[in-house]
Amino acid sequence: METTEIIIRENGTLTERVVRERDLEAGPSVLDALTDEVTRSLRNVLAIPGWGLAHANVGLNDTIWSVPIDHLVLNARFRLIHGVLVPVFTSGTDLEMPLVWRAPKEVRLAFVIRTQLSEGCARIDGNWLFACDQDNRGYRLPLPNLHDDCLICTGNFEDRYDTGGECVAASLEQFRKSKWNADLMRTTEQSQKFFRFQPTNETFETLPIQAADWMALCDKVSTAILERVIL
Amino acid sequence: MKNITVKYGVDSITKQVEDDFTFGDLQESDSFQAALGFGDSTKALVEGIEQDRGTVIPAGTTVRLETAANTKA
Repeated sequence: METTEIIIRENGTLTERVVRERDLEAGPSVLDALTDEVTRSLRNVLAIPGWGLAHANVGLNDTIWSVPIDHLVLNARFRLIHGVLVPVFTSGTDLEMPLVWRAPKEVRLAFVIRTQLSEGCARIDGNWLFACDQDNRGYRLPLPNLHDDCLICTGNFEDRYDTGGECVAASLEQFRKSKWNADLMRTTEQSQKFFRFQPTNETFETLPIQAADWMALCDKVSTAILERVIL
Repeated sequence: MKNITVKYGVDSITKQVEDDFTFGDLQESDSFQAALGFGDSTKALVEGIEQDRGTVIPAGTTVRLETAANTKA
């Protein structure tokens, strides 16, 4: 459709303005392009036995799954120092055992999985471990096998499944059974102030973090993945 | 002098800097590091686009800093 307007300007000039309108073939591809960065957050999507609920942040190209966790299984070597059992990730001789570290309530842990649809199946595209404070600031725990952006060095495991839920469960199982070694290790001192255990007659009790402010033992992080984490 | 706003996670700060202040200067700035708590390894983004360290930050810009991924040691 075309319309013609004649404009009389203040100085007496006559101007013709032609307006042409047509419907564009603006299908789903245009909408997809416009909403490429838009994501939606869904809470309580899955229940993972032994871990809890998984939340999902769904984007056009991927899904970020967040599993708030309250413990870490540290398959590592430990040493008794002044009656306190602490990890020695760099050791090749100390006693190796899986100890469960219980996070204090002020340390909010998020295990994060990114999945993408690939060739008809869901593919795991990375696992992250974040510690967050009450104001949602993110931190890298003083652990080895964690990159600066909190990406976990998981080792190789099957990364293709029929569903996103299976990807989440498989990632958590790999996380639970993996051994922590010295790769990407920072300072031993910070780890040993953070992860402390008291041997008792029957088990190993998690001791409080040896710092007035637990964040002082961690590195503050900010990443695009963390922005999409749901706690 | 010019004002820039820098965000790192949920924290942000607006400060006055020199006219020739670059993204690299920001990433190495002790005062911004102290205020926002970022480390030595960062990338600077403006509206989601990563910026070159040598580029001068335009006045009034909001810069988002993110922790950069490292490679395996």
